[in-house]
Amino acid sequence: MEGERLFRFPKPQWLNSANTRTAGVYLAGGLFSIALFILIDAASYSKSPLNGSNFHITFVDWIPAIFSALGMLVINSIDKTRLSGDGFSYSGDGVAWKARVVLFMGFAAMAGGLAGGVCVLVLKYIVAEASWPTAWMGVANVVTNGLVMLSSVILWVSQNMEDDYTYNLAL
Amino acid sequence: MAGVKTIIVLSFILAIGFILVILSSALYHNYLTLLVVATYVLAPVPNWICSKAQNNDDFMDSGSSSVVELGRFLTGFFVVMGIALPVVLAHTEQIRIEAMVMSIVGGLLIYSTIISFTMFFREQEEF
Repeated sequence: MEGERLFRFPKPQWLNSANTRTAGVYLAGGLFSIALFILIDAASYSKSPLNGSNFHITFVDWIPAIFSALGMLVINSIDKTRLSGDGFSYSGDGVAWKARVVLFMGFAAMAGGLAGGVCVLVLKYIVAEASWPTAWMGVANVVTNGLVMLSSVILWVSQNMEDDYTYNLAL
Repeated sequence: MAGVKTIIVLSFILAIGFILVILSSALYHNYLTLLVVATYVLAPVPNWICSKAQNNDDFMDSGSSSVVELGRFLTGFFVVMGIALPVVLAHTEQIRIEAMVMSIVGGLLIYSTIISFTMFFREQEEF
């Protein structure tokens, strides 16, 4: 493993410990919760008497978050060992190919969710010239999708960390 | 008898947490903050269920099964939900700021009690 290093700096040793992996998974769950509750905050703000404007959260505002969450579900439910199709024995070319297609669809859904969040912010709130406390409903959409993406990245990294860890154990 | 002392201290902390949450709802005649208690009681449940579900024979995968990670994900979700729920309620003026602070502190006390209680129990089981 040492000989195959590509970068100048080695990976720090604490990245491979089991505690870091556990903390990463907890952190991902927390970030996903923050994302969901930012969106719920925007929706309940839209319904509350504080919202004096004509802007309201409709189903359109929820669509990007739904796509982001679906993408996260797809990405993180794929078995990572199926992805490296260079092997010969267990993962035949069919399985690796399918895994890559499904993974691509997951990433596309997530990126589409983020792009949709920005789209809703621009088209529904900025173009209609919403002032600040109203524009929060649009900003919350972008923040939600960004946090879902960040949570998914952390979950992915900590799952890959797990593979390295078990690999070291097996050697 | 360190076990008795820790149990007494933990029960005091639990009682203080419950008092804070109940005060935060009863002082303002607004019982929405009681949801925090439900959240924190639910928080260790996914971890518990998934650690039971993971219990199969292959010892190479011990502790790194994806079912366990799903449980940890859900637990982290619930813990942050216990903080985020009062903040959301206070931001939309369903509850007051003081009630928000009291329910967050009380909920954190309740959850830390639950966690440390299970930790003490696990430590005793190993002997």
